[in-house]
Amino acid sequence: MPKYLCLQRKLADGNAERPSPAQMQEMYAKFGAWQQKFKKNLVDMGGKLGDGKLATADPAPDGPFVEVKELVGGYMIVSADSLGQAIEVARECPGLVGPGSGVEVIEIRTP
Amino acid sequence: MSTPQLLAEHFFRHEYGRLVATLSRRAGAQYIDAVEDAVQSALMSALESWTVSGVPDNPTAWLFRVAHNGLWGELRQRTRHRRIMEQNTTEVAAAPQDRVEPFLAGEMQDDLLRMLFVCCDAAIPTESQLVLALKILCGFEVREIALRLFISEGNVYKRLSRARDRLRALPPHLDELADEQYALRLPAVRKILYLMFTEGYLSSHAESAIRRELCAEAIRLTDILANHPVGESPETSALLALMHLHSARLTARQDGTGGLLLLEEQDRASWDRREIAVGLSWLAKSAAGDVFSRYHAEAGIAAEHCLAPTFQETRWDKVVECYALLERIAPSAIHRLNRAVAVAELRGPAAGLAVLDGFQPPTWLAGSYMWVAVLADLHRRCGDAHTASGYRELACQLAPTTAVKQVLQRRLHIAHAAASPAGRPTRRCT
Repeated sequence: MPKYLCLQRKLADGNAERPSPAQMQEMYAKFGAWQQKFKKNLVDMGGKLGDGKLATADPAPDGPFVEVKELVGGYMIVSADSLGQAIEVARECPGLVGPGSGVEVIEIRTP
Repeated sequence: MSTPQLLAEHFFRHEYGRLVATLSRRAGAQYIDAVEDAVQSALMSALESWTVSGVPDNPTAWLFRVAHNGLWGELRQRTRHRRIMEQNTTEVAAAPQDRVEPFLAGEMQDDLLRMLFVCCDAAIPTESQLVLALKILCGFEVREIALRLFISEGNVYKRLSRARDRLRALPPHLDELADEQYALRLPAVRKILYLMFTEGYLSSHAESAIRRELCAEAIRLTDILANHPVGESPETSALLALMHLHSARLTARQDGTGGLLLLEEQDRASWDRREIAVGLSWLAKSAAGDVFSRYHAEAGIAAEHCLAPTFQETRWDKVVECYALLERIAPSAIHRLNRAVAVAELRGPAAGLAVLDGFQPPTWLAGSYMWVAVLADLHRRCGDAHTASGYRELACQLAPTTAVKQVLQRRLHIAHAAASPAGRPTRRCT
């Protein structure tokens, strides 16, 4: 099955309200249910992205770079029959798609 | 992929309360804002990390470490607070990961209780104390508090900021409470817990889970208080008894569609026997010593209702006696009204009316549906249909919710058995 890279994108004006502890409990439960539902598709749960730097052949030029972590919250890898199915898996993930964030789903082409 | 582990019910809310209590003791209550931010961030990190890598062996210790490091990182950055840093550097350095946990075990319960006493500062108005306790000890957000107390979010913010202003004004490391402070604040602590309970018990919120929540929180905190040297006393036991005894009947108070049921209509088989047993054991404990508080009187009334096999077999003489005692300890027109209802059951409607004869109710009561509804009921039972119908119309107009209106219509138009607001906490009308 083809694999897909999912990048969580923070959208402009995405100023989602901080969840309350009770809502976190709910999110935790929903996330668990989602993981159960798609456990066959979830290849790598990935994680959040932190600081990074551009490595080039020349000594690294001084920026300015757009900080990756400002745009991308985190990544994961899912396997699916098609791009459409991969999008479905990502879309149903609680907290990934919502006000202020979206997911970019990219096919990983292996020769 | 492993199956995600289940977390205890209300885990995030309760950890929030425990962490805020422990960290604000260490940093000082004046840093309450930074403490709350650090705890909120730690819980978010937990949510992100645990859903991917699983729940650690000791989730509480994990959260504490993250919140603790976050808080001290923040305080370190506030240069004007350098002095605090110096005082705590040793602690930060000496708190390696594996040593946090044993240190926590015995301490967190104490901290939670201590924070409750810090909230009950006489310089903070009671309604702000309640909101503060719900926010920092029970982990409710502003909008969640507003929903549960039937007040606006703006009102919640206002009450919270009054409380926080006071906490922030406390001199560094001088918010430690001396023993006599605990004794002095204990009545205020009980009052807050009583309010928290009655807000849930009398709530007309449509969802029973939401109504139950405040009652459950009040019982959780009162239970800690009643089992701790700073709080254990006959009065605290009586308070916990009345909470359990009322809580036992909570579900039975409503029918399947959210409508209210009168005491005589309730299915007594659905009362929670286990809760009643726990309540009665605390009531027995409350009898130690010669203190008789309003909580004793109210628990006594609740116990009579719980123990009566049927509405008719209620020991109304005992209920009347408890209301008379309650009136003496905590004079309030609503207690007199409740006594009149109980007297009517014991000696007939005319005797009930006699209790109210010549009594001028305060405006808040005279304008409430309860007062008018009791008059309508007693006059009707005395055979004075004309007076009764006047009061009946007025009572229906004054009914605050549809559920109350329905119960009034049913009670005052058709039923012939006795109505009784007896045995409920009485704060709704205050």
